[in-house]
Amino acid sequence: MTAHWFTYCLEEAFASLRRQRVSVVLAVLTIAAALLVLGGFLLVTVNLDRAVSRWSAAAEFSIYLADDISPEQRVALNTLLEGHPAVASREYVSKADAAVRFRRDFPDLAAGLADMPQNPLPASIEVRLNPANAGGDALEAFARLVSAAGGVADVRFDRRWLERLGRIASGVRWAGWMLGAVLLAAAVLTVATVVRLSLHARRDEVDIMQLMGAPIALLRGPLVVEGILYGGAGAVVSLVALYGGYVAARGRVLATLGTTLDAGAVGFLPAGVAALLVVIGMIVGCAGGYLAARHVR
Amino acid sequence: MYGRGIYALRDVSLVVEKGEFVFLTGPSGAGKSTLLRLLLRQEIPTEGSVKVAGRDLAKLTPNQAQTYRRAVGFVFQDFKLIPSKSVLDNVGLVPRVLGATSVQQQRRTFQVLKWLGLQHRMNAFPLELSGGEQQRVAIARALVNEPSLILADEPTGNLDPDLSLEIMNLFRDINSRGTTVLVATHNRELMRHVGRRAITLDHGHVVEHS
Repeated sequence: MTAHWFTYCLEEAFASLRRQRVSVVLAVLTIAAALLVLGGFLLVTVNLDRAVSRWSAAAEFSIYLADDISPEQRVALNTLLEGHPAVASREYVSKADAAVRFRRDFPDLAAGLADMPQNPLPASIEVRLNPANAGGDALEAFARLVSAAGGVADVRFDRRWLERLGRIASGVRWAGWMLGAVLLAAAVLTVATVVRLSLHARRDEVDIMQLMGAPIALLRGPLVVEGILYGGAGAVVSLVALYGGYVAARGRVLATLGTTLDAGAVGFLPAGVAALLVVIGMIVGCAGGYLAARHVR
Repeated sequence: MYGRGIYALRDVSLVVEKGEFVFLTGPSGAGKSTLLRLLLRQEIPTEGSVKVAGRDLAKLTPNQAQTYRRAVGFVFQDFKLIPSKSVLDNVGLVPRVLGATSVQQQRRTFQVLKWLGLQHRMNAFPLELSGGEQQRVAIARALVNEPSLILADEPTGNLDPDLSLEIMNLFRDINSRGTTVLVATHNRELMRHVGRRAITLDHGHVVEHS
């Protein structure tokens, strides 16, 4: 019997969609616009997260050694690094190696380095961090520990700005959710209005069904299903538009950030997030449909 | 009572026995339709009570009211058919929304349409039918769920005298099968022809039992 009523609700909802095409387009586009904004923010933050994750995996921790570091200090420092859980691997870069790298990476400035009476670049140890044991406070503590070791001139690591970037991504995500929520609330009201129009169009039928003793759930069901269909359609439209925008923007982003991002770092929304948008659209439609349907009693 | 102290019905006390055929009559504004609306539980009395088969209709929850209505068939002067649905779908809507299987729907609908002589019109739409046919479709819809009570509000108001007589004869046949029938009409000629108990209302009061 439930399946039978579900079929009835679906049939009536589709019939209503056919009856009032212009209003339907309005409702679908409203939901699509709201989800497009939310999806756009999610797309940006998903890619920021992806980039942060990649850069984090490649993040380096550089320990610059004082020119006058003694052999004992060097041994003590190596011992400290050897057993520390934040360290995945390390590489010693001598003053001469640093000069070679400098000339390779900055050929325009290489002549200036050659003119100097002696090599100003310090020797260093480049530490590859273990992501599992080098997050947030643990990394700061490790940095303090290394800085305090004898023979260490300076410590630099790029995790700080990555964390800052991560916080920005989180802020953008929240802004997206907040703006999306406001727009989705507006979409709920639009759907409710359109479904109410649909209710007026079939008011006689609903009245007659009420007099027949049709269950209240069955009187409201087609209206709620109608809202869900609007929401689902709006979500699909928003995903198509979002994908179009993504394809158009992807090339430009890679061209701009090509030196720091590889092509694999930029991608569309994961299937789970896309499915979440569809579910949100359907919930919005359902809420709008229910708002209109609760007048039927 | 409607707003500002206006009573649609007042001091009305009447009993209709199971299986009875009763006319409600009186001039326009007498309260006939209001009484039928109370019986359909479209209105709730501000004072007093309306009981059907021992149940006080005012005390029904919305879901109980819907269950109650399944045992009541209704027929209106303006037929209240759904123009976008065929005769078959208009009548079949009742068993459909009440959860009958499609085989049950078709069987019940066809039986009642055949009984009312409408089987050849079942694919027609309401606006393609004459007034008499439309009212017979409305009666078919009222009967398809085999109700124990039929309420008819001026069912012949839009029909010519011959068709009106035909419709009243149908109600008489329905009543002869054991269904309680209440018909609101101010057509005294028809009442005389059918010859059943009549309750006359005027300004919301019962003024005559005959």
